[in-house]
Amino acid sequence: MATHIAPLRKLWALHVLDGNDIHLSLKELYEKLSNGKSGCYWELFEVYKHLRSLGYVVGRHGIPWSVKGQHIKSGTCSLEGSQESNEMLEMEPKDENSVIELFNNMQITDVSPAFNVYLPNSKFRKSSPGDPSFVLYISRCSPPSRVEIEALERKHGAIPFKFCHVENGRVSFFSFAKTELPVLP
Amino acid sequence: MMPRWKGKGLQAKANADPMSKIVSQLQSSLIQFETRGLLSSCSVLVEVDAELADLLNRSCFGRPRITAQEDKQWFQLDMEEAFYLCFSLKCLKVIGEDGSIKSNEELWDYFKSKKLVFPVSYKVYSHLRHKNWVVRSGLQYGVDFVAYRHHPALVHSEYAVLALSEGDNDLNGRLRVWSDVHCTVRLCGSVAKTLLTVIVNSNNQVANSPSCLEHYTVEERTITRWNPERSREDQTGPKNGTKKV
Repeated sequence: MATHIAPLRKLWALHVLDGNDIHLSLKELYEKLSNGKSGCYWELFEVYKHLRSLGYVVGRHGIPWSVKGQHIKSGTCSLEGSQESNEMLEMEPKDENSVIELFNNMQITDVSPAFNVYLPNSKFRKSSPGDPSFVLYISRCSPPSRVEIEALERKHGAIPFKFCHVENGRVSFFSFAKTELPVLP
Repeated sequence: MMPRWKGKGLQAKANADPMSKIVSQLQSSLIQFETRGLLSSCSVLVEVDAELADLLNRSCFGRPRITAQEDKQWFQLDMEEAFYLCFSLKCLKVIGEDGSIKSNEELWDYFKSKKLVFPVSYKVYSHLRHKNWVVRSGLQYGVDFVAYRHHPALVHSEYAVLALSEGDNDLNGRLRVWSDVHCTVRLCGSVAKTLLTVIVNSNNQVANSPSCLEHYTVEERTITRWNPERSREDQTGPKNGTKKV
């Protein structure tokens, strides 16, 4: 699944190729996003695009980054034509412009995280990405309950996680952090 | 979010005059004067002299009512405030319209009849008060309470508090949909407060009497909005995952 997308601000251009290395038009991409198995590719794409355009490094949770020298596996994305946001990324000089199967089979559920996100200037290296700055869940229907949040805290341990809500073209991020107000004198 | 003191030297003033001590003095004085409150709809009215009025003001219980009386003052206490003084601090007795003193169980039933979520909101109120936070109504901000580190004259409140309960019998009904999360977080932000949810688990206790409260457990959580445009700089280096985002 691939297309050339030039977003409004023209900060970055994303080349996407399908399995046969054939460029698809924007219309075809949008159609694919709408027809995803769980019908949720559109929200995933909005979130992905939003964070990428701000310079964050976003990978699909559970999918390894490619290792230097190997063919690019799914879950990676490279930028073209954008100086500001990919300077810190270690890139192969001629990376294939592909988001091959990035969203393939991806489902938004409230229990499986969508993305691992790294801060933009975090000297991210695909060969050793390290822990993400946070794990991102995309929320479908309702805000998470306390029970759900606790389960996620057990699952992710020290790595923070956030919930993302997409509606009406707006992408919003929320943190639900345990706290304890101090006992005052 | 750091506490915002309202002026220079006020933090020192607060430190020199701990809230726990003020509340303790209030408690002693109320007991000494055998103060009685009058049950009136959703409030309890107390008549006090100047010394007690001063303590009520400094500890932030109740609101003074304007009257023509000179030697005495009347204060109006919210349900949670009144029950805290009666049940937790044991320094106030409340008289019903028949002139008899209400037991804690009777007060509990009465307040529950006026406010279905009273057990949960009281648990949250007393939980924060026990930690010596000043807790006031948060109605004007669309939340249950606001919590201050000390007297509101000295410091702005840091937290807008929602008292929530777990499970199917959550009568509060807040933050069940994303639009409410957006709305509440935005409102809190616009008044420089952090949204604090205090979640009460009744542990299957039926709220028949105030003794159920000791079996309730409480968990505090903040809900904050993360703005990706503002958090791009990683100041702690790639491996250190402790930067707060």
